[in-house]
Amino acid sequence: MKTLFLLLLLSLALCAVTAEEIITKVEHNLQSESGYAEITMVVTTARGERTMKMQSWNRGNEKSFIKILYPLKDRGITFLKIETTMWQYVPTIERTIKIPSSMMMQSWMGSDFTNDDMAKESSIVEDYHARLSAEDEANYTLTLLPKEEAAVVWGKIVLEVEKKEFVPLSAVYYDEDDLAQRILYYSEVKVFGSHHLPTVMTLVPLNKEGNKTVVIMDAVQFDIEIDDARFSKSALKRYSR
Amino acid sequence: MILLKMAVRELMAHKKRSLITLFLSAFSTGLFIFANAISDGSHKQLIRSSIEIYPGYMQVSNRDFEDNPSFENLIFDVAKVRAELEEIEGIAANAVRFEAFALYSAQEDAIGGMFAAIEPENEAKVSRLKSSLVEGEYLSEEDRGMIYLGAELAKRLHVGVGDSLAFISSAADYSFAADTLRVKGLFKTKLYEFDNSAGFVNKAYFDEVMQSENIATHIISPAEPSSIDALSARVQKKVGETLEVKNYKETLEDLILALEIDEIFGYITLGIFFIVIFFVIAIFAFLSVYARIRQIGVLRAIGTTPSQVVGMLLIEALLLGLLSVGIGGAGGAYASAHYEKSPIVLSSWGDVEIEEYYKQYNMVAEPMLYAEYNPAKISLEMALMLLLNLLTVLYPIVVINRFSPTEAIRYV
Repeated sequence: MKTLFLLLLLSLALCAVTAEEIITKVEHNLQSESGYAEITMVVTTARGERTMKMQSWNRGNEKSFIKILYPLKDRGITFLKIETTMWQYVPTIERTIKIPSSMMMQSWMGSDFTNDDMAKESSIVEDYHARLSAEDEANYTLTLLPKEEAAVVWGKIVLEVEKKEFVPLSAVYYDEDDLAQRILYYSEVKVFGSHHLPTVMTLVPLNKEGNKTVVIMDAVQFDIEIDDARFSKSALKRYSR
Repeated sequence: MILLKMAVRELMAHKKRSLITLFLSAFSTGLFIFANAISDGSHKQLIRSSIEIYPGYMQVSNRDFEDNPSFENLIFDVAKVRAELEEIEGIAANAVRFEAFALYSAQEDAIGGMFAAIEPENEAKVSRLKSSLVEGEYLSEEDRGMIYLGAELAKRLHVGVGDSLAFISSAADYSFAADTLRVKGLFKTKLYEFDNSAGFVNKAYFDEVMQSENIATHIISPAEPSSIDALSARVQKKVGETLEVKNYKETLEDLILALEIDEIFGYITLGIFFIVIFFVIAIFAFLSVYARIRQIGVLRAIGTTPSQVVGMLLIEALLLGLLSVGIGGAGGAYASAHYEKSPIVLSSWGDVEIEEYYKQYNMVAEPMLYAEYNPAKISLEMALMLLLNLLTVLYPIVVINRFSPTEAIRYV
């Protein structure tokens, strides 16, 4: 009887999912070794709505390249991110500009996303301790707290994850005073091979009434061949055309 | 009359003692007046400079702009607000500004800073931006693609007059804005942080690249400090509740509060100074009166009444006080008037340290001490010093009058 009880405990322990495992599975759904996406970004403010279209290439979490296609006046603006450093090429002024760290919290292309969001999107696992703070039949709730040495802007992130396929549902970002600043909602999950990807992300800043930014993945390809040259500074100008 | 004659004779008979008292009191009076003049003058100058360099005496902005300085909280009908301002008596001029953030780049590395639009001619009426030019030229109404750049920012960007640089920013409609600019002039306002982070372009050009026609973050107006509260209230009533009118007392609240605290510490220091002077003069007066106990005993013995003794000593103190306060007051007033016109330049006392101090506290780097010549205040201070002189002899008089004539004559 005692042995049976121990075996039962052991099997329960083996079944239990840790916070780290959940995060790893979430990241598997969202990311790949290499990928390509065609994206529409709709920025809504109290004064109107603006639509941007872009292409994005990425290699793992470290390298990404974005090219703006629409609106026409911004066509050809390119961004390169290597680890946490970001460059931008602007064809109208024919210049490549490195975004300084002091400007990382500024808005990215007038959206509710910041340059920091674009450059540090990969660092959640590295920069935050994850803790499983709640669980119900359908979802996990994870609380992410920054590691002591991490140079991050958020004091806390609360991530809601769907249990079945480990798809993120929402992420609430808190500042250092524990006040919620923005919520990122994930929706429209589509399956790409082994990836269950939410193809619509809606970022709602809580301090700007009427504002939101919706990112729609119009086309996605995972694990494709991408030329190394795509992730070099010279590519910013070359692929701008 | 006889008491006055006796007092004068007594002062003349002991010239050395009288001169020392006179010198002590005159010097203290002069120093007291000048120290106050320097404190008041420097504070007023600092406030004036802080207002006039850029912030301005009165500003109109969207009511929510201060708490949330986003492009949602702008003045969206500048022409209407401007027309309303022009109807108000006491508003001599107004200047429209649009302040945004931009990345400036001359080489690959970029520097973030304020990218602001001004109306060059109107701006010259409300701030010292134009007079802060140190190299090149100030902006003109016709300029397109020209920037008037803070000298310190120019240093960091490694650009000079005639060089080009690029900016990227978010336009008023949140679209992407970028262009190449040529440096037309460099300014140095003595406010280090401002010179280190700001660039200005013509509003008409700014409107083209930043989609900001008839939109602004602020409208600035000059105003007389003495009547600014009433004027602000009138403007607020006219422009309505969606906009907010703030005068320098609100926009520079922290600086004014800091100076008020500094003033309190100044008064405490002067109070200590005042007490020290009081005791120095009092001790000297006490010794002077005590040295005359036998003489006063003789006077009492030949029929002089105690009140006549009090009168004689008070007249002596009054004569000395009037003379010393007059001399000291004239000296203090002259110094105040002189240093109001020609301030004391501190830079010769250690240029680098003073500049670093101003940078550290982001204050107007004006290493000069201005005095304020205020005849009414000087008269009051002279009256105070005269009163102090009279108070110093009261105690010795009381003590000396306790002696009987025989005790006083025998006093050794």
